[in-house]
Amino acid sequence: MRAETLKGHLDGILLAVLEPGPRHGYAIMEALRVRSGGRVDLPTGTVYPALHRLERAGLVQASWSAAGGRRRRVYQLTPAGRRALDTERGTWRDFSAAVTALLQPAPLPVTSP
Amino acid sequence: MIRRFPAEPAAGPAVEGYLAELTALLPGPSRARAGIVAELRSGLADATDAHRSAGLPSAQAARAAIREFGDPARVAAGFRAEIAASQARRAAVALLVTGPLVGLLWIATAAASHLRIGLAPPWHWTGTAPGLGAGIYLIAAAAGVTAWGAMLSIAATGRLTRWLPARPRRAPTAAAVAGYGAVSADGLGLALLAAELATVPGKLSLLPAAAAAAASIARMLLARRAARHCLALRASLT
Repeated sequence: MRAETLKGHLDGILLAVLEPGPRHGYAIMEALRVRSGGRVDLPTGTVYPALHRLERAGLVQASWSAAGGRRRRVYQLTPAGRRALDTERGTWRDFSAAVTALLQPAPLPVTSP
Repeated sequence: MIRRFPAEPAAGPAVEGYLAELTALLPGPSRARAGIVAELRSGLADATDAHRSAGLPSAQAARAAIREFGDPARVAAGFRAEIAASQARRAAVALLVTGPLVGLLWIATAAASHLRIGLAPPWHWTGTAPGLGAGIYLIAAAAGVTAWGAMLSIAATGRLTRWLPARPRRAPTAAAVAGYGAVSADGLGLALLAAELATVPGKLSLLPAAAAAAASIARMLLARRAARHCLALRASLT
């Protein structure tokens, strides 16, 4: 799935990946790949600016940590981030239900003799 | 915004070359740049490890990590918008905080001087140079523009970010407007002071006037610098 297709949903996806617990940038990217069954494959470098934007918006907070011998910037959800994720989920459910219904092949028209 | 970042040992030449290419595409300040590069370096090291444990030799693993991170121009473009937003926010906060302080110094100057202003509006003041009242209204208008621009910039870069349509130029533009508003307000204040000194020199209380003038000059220079910086950041956004 290309970045253009994901546009507008990347924020929600990143928040969802962080829901189980704090992760650093590369672990977030790996979780994106694993949880999407390999279908989401963005350039890894583009995930970092998106994370910084979420941080600026107060949805995640970041701190440097040295666990595992390498300094990494670790991101975790803030309470505002959890609320935003809930909103995002609700919006997506409505949207996908509507689009699924609309993309359904229409029943064949009943032709009158 | 990145506050603290540790020094990371340099990676291999391919990764360092990639990071150098990316750094060249990022605007200042160098602190923000260094934080971003440190984070990407550690991410590239993780990616290299992942490719190595998948069986690639070190040099190839590093090249695979670089391919995976993507075009440096594209990554830099994402960060440029972030740097512009955080710098614009910083400038806007500084303008919003310093405005009332400088304003208070000018009010103290007027109150300490023998202008018989009391609590009367400026057009009732007596013993002043002509045009003082009109000048004060112009200053108020410039201060209003500054406050409006700064607040818009702060709103566009904070919690409201995700509710506003993504327009990365909005915050640096508003902050630049605020900066030039502050330059105008302070410049007008200094011009009025000069007019008072020229026409009714004996009536001014010099010590507070000197303090207010010094504060205004300092703020004017800083505001002009911040406004130019914000315009440059705005121009760096594609």
